[in-house]
Amino acid sequence: MTWVIPITIGVLVAGAVYLMLQRGMVRIIFGLALLAHAANLILLSAGVSAWRGEPLGDRLDLETAADPLPQAFVLTAIVIAFAITVFMLALAVIGHNDDTKRMPETGEFHDR
Amino acid sequence: MALLWTLLVVAVAVAVAPACTRYLGRDAGYPLGVIYLVATAVFLPAAAAVLRGEPVTYSAAWVPDLGVNFALQADGIGVVFTMIALVIGAVVFFYSARYLHDGRHLSFYLVMAAFTLSMVGLVLADDLILLFMAWELTSLASFLLIARSGYGGELASLRTMIITFVGGLTMLAAAVAMIARTGTTSVTEVLAHPVWDEDPTFTTVMAVLVLLAAFTKSAQFPFHVWLPDAMAAATPVSAYLHAAAVVKAGIFLLMRFTPAFHETPVWNYTLIFTGLFTCAMAGWFALQKTDLKKLMAYSTVSQLGLIVATIGVGTGYALAAATLHVIAHALFKSGLFMMVGVIDHAAHTRDMRRLPALRKQMPWSFATVVIGCASMAGIPPLLGFVSKESVFTAMREAPGPEWVGWVALFGAVGASVLTFSYCAKIVFGAFVDGDRDDLVVHEAQPSLLLPAALPILVGVPLALVAGVFDNPVGYAVQAALPDSDHEPHFVLWHGLVLELWLSLAIIAIGVVLIMNRARLRPWAEHDTLNVDGAWVMTRMVRAFSTLGRVLVRTVRADHPTRHVAPQFVMLSLVALAGLPAVMATVGLAPLTPDLGRPIDLMMLVVIVGGVVGMVTADSRLAATVSLSAVGVAVTVQIFSLGAPDVGLTQLLVEALTILMIMLVLQKLPLRFGRAPRYGQSAAAGLAIVTGVAAGLLTWGLTGRRERTPVAQYYLNEGPAETGGDNIVNTILVEFRALDTLGELAVLGMAGVAIIAVLSTIRDADVDPPPEDDRSYVPAPEVPLREPGSTAYRAITESWSNAVPLQLLVRTVTPLLALISAILFLRGHNAPGGGFIAALVGSAIVALVYLSAAKDHAVGPPRLPVYLIAGGVLTAIGAGLYGLAFLGSFLEPQSGYILGYGVGTALIFDVGVYLAVLGLVICAFNLLGAAQDSKEHTRERADQQVEGELPGPMDTVRGERPGRRTTFLASDTPPLRGGGRR
Repeated sequence: MTWVIPITIGVLVAGAVYLMLQRGMVRIIFGLALLAHAANLILLSAGVSAWRGEPLGDRLDLETAADPLPQAFVLTAIVIAFAITVFMLALAVIGHNDDTKRMPETGEFHDR
Repeated sequence: MALLWTLLVVAVAVAVAPACTRYLGRDAGYPLGVIYLVATAVFLPAAAAVLRGEPVTYSAAWVPDLGVNFALQADGIGVVFTMIALVIGAVVFFYSARYLHDGRHLSFYLVMAAFTLSMVGLVLADDLILLFMAWELTSLASFLLIARSGYGGELASLRTMIITFVGGLTMLAAAVAMIARTGTTSVTEVLAHPVWDEDPTFTTVMAVLVLLAAFTKSAQFPFHVWLPDAMAAATPVSAYLHAAAVVKAGIFLLMRFTPAFHETPVWNYTLIFTGLFTCAMAGWFALQKTDLKKLMAYSTVSQLGLIVATIGVGTGYALAAATLHVIAHALFKSGLFMMVGVIDHAAHTRDMRRLPALRKQMPWSFATVVIGCASMAGIPPLLGFVSKESVFTAMREAPGPEWVGWVALFGAVGASVLTFSYCAKIVFGAFVDGDRDDLVVHEAQPSLLLPAALPILVGVPLALVAGVFDNPVGYAVQAALPDSDHEPHFVLWHGLVLELWLSLAIIAIGVVLIMNRARLRPWAEHDTLNVDGAWVMTRMVRAFSTLGRVLVRTVRADHPTRHVAPQFVMLSLVALAGLPAVMATVGLAPLTPDLGRPIDLMMLVVIVGGVVGMVTADSRLAATVSLSAVGVAVTVQIFSLGAPDVGLTQLLVEALTILMIMLVLQKLPLRFGRAPRYGQSAAAGLAIVTGVAAGLLTWGLTGRRERTPVAQYYLNEGPAETGGDNIVNTILVEFRALDTLGELAVLGMAGVAIIAVLSTIRDADVDPPPEDDRSYVPAPEVPLREPGSTAYRAITESWSNAVPLQLLVRTVTPLLALISAILFLRGHNAPGGGFIAALVGSAIVALVYLSAAKDHAVGPPRLPVYLIAGGVLTAIGAGLYGLAFLGSFLEPQSGYILGYGVGTALIFDVGVYLAVLGLVICAFNLLGAAQDSKEHTRERADQQVEGELPGPMDTVRGERPGRRTTFLASDTPPLRGGGRR
């Protein structure tokens, strides 16, 4: 069973890369969301997935408690990914067209 | 202290310039000039001490850690250049008070005074860092003084700045290398260092760097182009900077570093030959000009060339001659520049072809210009004659074989013939020739003429008593050549020596040329080269920008594929090549047993299904549903990994994200549309390779270690240390609170950035009418019962559909608020905390927003911005409390109130809560606004900054509405960007 989480991460990354190479901003955002999931799982497995006890002081078992530091990192990462997602959604909606190759009219020049 | 006081008095001139110009207008030149004279008087004791042979120094620690001092030192060179800067500066200010038209002229007086300050600082500096800074400041001031002269000066000032800053860079390189090599920043100590004798290579490199810096400033070939260009500046600026001060900064630098380089052949020959070439070339160009000021500019370049060549000779006699010529040139050239201004004032032109013969109408000016030009041409009995004689003598001492001296001498003589010719041209072109009689010209008023004539006229008596310069020049020579025992002795009459015959020959040739000027002028008055410096610089700039555009074409694109694909390729390469390499060389540590659980497999199945659904879906809605499935599966996986806080956060974020995506989807086409097939297979190939790489990396590099000491510490000591049982939360708000503060800022900035981006785009472009879209499908005509019936309302009006949700909100909202509060308070000990509580609070916002029948902004317009700012400020405030009372930024303090642990960490969490809530409200209000709603997206964005507005602002990027704009009410368009209200 040791290979399950690596495969999960591989599947998430593959889906993320495929979607991020698409033209539509919404698909790119979806790809980014998958990539964020994958990155979070990688961070958590860096804390060694053999120890899965909750790191809470009142029910702590030092033998099985999970590493709290990656968890703190992932919590931060989730919130930042959320902020980026919201920002990109705002970009996607401009001009009611999320095609990143055919830019909406904004009064600017664009190089392809 | 006299040195410091001198600088301070000049600084007073800078400080009072705004007030003086406000109350006195152009007359501000008089008090400012008097301040310069006071500075001169303050400086005199120091100068007297130097001339008695006592060094005058001042030093205060500036950056003690680096050994940099604010060190000043007056020696012979410093005295000469300080006096020039202050006295000529005062005269030019007196002149400016009458030359300038009525008005405030703040920028002129302010920058001129600032320039004098940096110039005096430069020539008195005894610290390389100080010297370099003053050097750059003179460049900046010079740039500003040209740039302020309006449109014509813009490009000229930029070219000047580019050239002088190139010299600044070589100067910086030289200063840094000298400091690194000699280990001191003191100019005196650097120059006395033995390295100059021991390491000829280093000395040569330094000599080249220093002389390049000096050449750019003193307008030597090929950097001379900026000086004629700089004539766009006002005449007083030219009289001061381009005759006496900024161009002399380069000369000063050469003299300052002469002790180190005077025996370096590269230094000697580059200075001599570049100087003489510049002298002759600029003399020839001067002869071609008909604009008096341009002519003066080239003549300055030419004279500077002669001085540079003389310094290059490097003997005591030569340096004495160069110093005297610097003084003489500063006097007659600044005077002549000012006289050009006088002529310009009187005749409203300074082009010889359009000037009448002015000698009758302006006799006094005529006499002054004749004396000035005679001094420049080297006619006895004037100061220019004395200095030029000395220069000729000095040339014969040029180092190397004897012929070098003769070549230098005759080069100088040949250049002097040109000098004589253009001097004659000034006099005859402006005052004698010209048959125009339609111009009524009057002699200038004395208050304008006197300051202009003064520097020229003092040259007459000074020449007769040239001996007064023996002592100051002697100390200047001693400063430049400490081991020289040369004692200069200037006299008007040397006897019948070679130099006198040469001077007479120059005058004779010149007289012949004057006689034949009518025939020669048409022949000379056209440009030898049809390119000038400005053209070359423009071409270079254009070539560089073309090159830049070509280079950037390989990497620039608006669409993201070209930016993200290379990163995935690189990641795959590193992983697929690096992992086998690691396994082959270092080997992998053994896997920790029992890494996987059955639940992982179940989640894998869900995730695979979800990802396949997302990748294959053509409908946006279907893809969103698949995304939420993946999100839920990942959340479960996180819970199963023993991370309740993370899992809760992930779940709530997932829900909010899906809601926001739905808001966005209502404005976008229903389907993604097709993409080219070859592009899709390439994307799929890269996706599979990257996925395999990521999986392999995870397998190879995680789950193969023991517990780390830091994890052990948190687990063992965390609860006792912080008084909180939820270790993850204590890490977030106490141990690593700075990380969280950064994250908070990112979160807040995302909200601000959304507002910023949306408010740069026109309303019609953010929310175009739906018919504009390619994939627009008109709403289907549904055969309905008559308007007013229940069926009709149910389909066409949304309010009735929203009623159940509104009822739900009423009951759920207090409940959610309560849960949010509990989660917030218990966060320190059990899963919860600022983020999770804020996300629950955000759910209230989402419900309130969704339950409205139509798009309706939640809360007051500016609430999100205030929440974000308040959140960040609260968090920083909690941090500052730690800094102020506990000694370290963000250090927590905890106490107990009613059995609850309360501390600064809780206040920090309040900040987190506010910022998250702000971002969510901002996002809902902006993403939800639609074409058919009352307020458009652009209007919402503006309202978040401006407060309530009656309609969308029709402003585009670069225009600034200002606080509380009145645009819509008063119909006054907002100011252009950068303008002040």
